[in-house]
Amino acid sequence: MEEKYLIEKVGRENPFRVPEGYFDTLTSQIMAKVEAEGVEARDIKTGKEKRAKTVWLRPVLYAAASVCALFISVVAYQSYSDQGVAAPAQNVVANNQMMMDSYFDEAADYVMLDNQDIYACLSSDY
Amino acid sequence: MDKYDDQHIKELLLKAETQHKGFELLVKQYSEQLYWQVRRIVMTHEDANDVLQNAFIKAWNGLETFHGDAKIFTWISRIAINESIDFVRRQKNLSIVSADDEDAHVANTLMADEYFDGNETEALLQEAIASLPEVQRTVFTLRYFDEMKYSEMSQRLKTSEGSLKASYHIAVKKISEFFKSHD
Repeated sequence: MEEKYLIEKVGRENPFRVPEGYFDTLTSQIMAKVEAEGVEARDIKTGKEKRAKTVWLRPVLYAAASVCALFISVVAYQSYSDQGVAAPAQNVVANNQMMMDSYFDEAADYVMLDNQDIYACLSSDY
Repeated sequence: MDKYDDQHIKELLLKAETQHKGFELLVKQYSEQLYWQVRRIVMTHEDANDVLQNAFIKAWNGLETFHGDAKIFTWISRIAINESIDFVRRQKNLSIVSADDEDAHVANTLMADEYFDGNETEALLQEAIASLPEVQRTVFTLRYFDEMKYSEMSQRLKTSEGSLKASYHIAVKKISEFFKSHD
């Protein structure tokens, strides 16, 4: 039997050795490495999961962004339309101005002042 | 003999808040035993130390793959053995790329290694083991030095007992022929 031949020739002794005290510090060495690299790897894993969630949320985010853009457009349009509505108000102001002017003219006629009198009055020192 | 109760370690590992403590007990319980398994496959102390640490990091990161119904040592040993096989495979690929016939220097390198205490015949045995394909090499060391049962080895390597027996016998035959050619 070949196995018997090997056992007789070489034996089963462990020919390997380790540095002195190696096994006394092995657990702390391994735990330090696990805490440093293992935790980091788990963080990367978690990061990947977070990224995956973001990817999954992406269509929802696009939809939300589109709704926001539509809302802003509607508000802008309404604001523009309001300016259109404000135009008659400006006409009202203009009408008021015209009424004031006619009132002034009437008042000037009443006190028998013409434009020249008014200019002379405004340019005079008194 | 085990220092801690496996059932207690399992319970700690399965809860997130006690996982770290459980893992530390697992390392204390099995690191030495695993070191020797790894060392016989990869041979040098430095490589065994690196492979063992990587195996524990993988085990920590893959704790969710540990099921409470499995034996802790079977689970962690499978990770360490796979890590050792991957390491040997990478080393072989590197030696192919660098066109360096590493196997031919194994005995001489070991005789000069301060952490190898064997005689020339034992160094030659390691050289013969190093010349085997990765899986045969692993099967041989687990059976020859650890005297592991095929049923147990089958669980670790996820290979049928029949093919493990065949691998071992082929490995023994190759090593015997190696020695006969050196006599």
